[in-house]
Amino acid sequence: MAEIKQEPMSKKKLDYVRRERTREMRQQIISFSLMIFLTFVAFGLVAMDVSPQFVIPIVIGMAFIQVILQFYYFMHMKDKGHEFAKLFIMTGIFFALSFVVTFIYIVWIGKPI
Amino acid sequence: MAHMEYNVPSERWPAHPETATMEGKNKFIGFWIFLAGETTLFASLFATYLALKDSVPGEDHPLAADLFALPLAFVMTMFLLTSSLTSVYAIYHMRNNNFAKMQLWLGITVLLGLGFLSLEIYEFIEYVHHGHTFRSSAFGSAFYFLLGTHGFHVVIGLGWITLLILRNARRGISVYTAAKVNTASLYWHFIDVVWVFIFTIVYLLGVM
Repeated sequence: MAEIKQEPMSKKKLDYVRRERTREMRQQIISFSLMIFLTFVAFGLVAMDVSPQFVIPIVIGMAFIQVILQFYYFMHMKDKGHEFAKLFIMTGIFFALSFVVTFIYIVWIGKPI
Repeated sequence: MAHMEYNVPSERWPAHPETATMEGKNKFIGFWIFLAGETTLFASLFATYLALKDSVPGEDHPLAADLFALPLAFVMTMFLLTSSLTSVYAIYHMRNNNFAKMQLWLGITVLLGLGFLSLEIYEFIEYVHHGHTFRSSAFGSAFYFLLGTHGFHVVIGLGWITLLILRNARRGISVYTAAKVNTASLYWHFIDVVWVFIFTIVYLLGVM
């Protein structure tokens, strides 16, 4: 059921695989620093009392960038073989956005039925 | 279960050990379906929170802007964000067939998660002292349900990773255990994804 069907790798192949992993690790550290940077900026903007109409869209936009980095780099969604993962998460996000829009509209924007 | 080889030499360790077996592949697909379901679960909680934010019964009940403090939310964010990176390190060493380092980074992840959890408990106790409880207002119910569900996920994640560390401590790493560790790490990243929206929508937009 769960044996390794792996032919032994040549020294060259192993070195290549290792190098690829190190390269990926570098990308992940870059995306981590970006995430930390975005967090600092978001907290900084709110702490500096800039006008909310200006800050709210920026802060929400930065949250989405952070989440995309998290999904694509930390959770490896950029790699091959993640087509189903993308499909499922996109469907989830579609429902998520429609819930939020519906609730905000019903409660705060739309006229009472 | 069929005979399982543990701690194989690196030449025979697959490039993607977590999906090297049929079982690993199934776990991987199944877990992403689960995460999509979790997304909609948290979305409904976020929508409820946004709809009921600051709906309080009287003048004397604290509002979001009176309660939330940015420094605490910032420290909690750093704890969880860093723990996400340490679990990335664990997966890196898992793929490189380095069992000891994988265990080490999983352990650091658990410690950072515990730090986050204790700050959250401290925060809740503080709010209850200010009269903001689960039953004091619609705002309170929505807030504690959203944050509580996330905190509950953190508890499950911590228990899950701790059990993996203990269970694998003596048997080491195989394509069977690699799939388990990978699934737990995906779960942990997802907890961080949800937290990104919590600190943005609840705390940053709350103090404005």
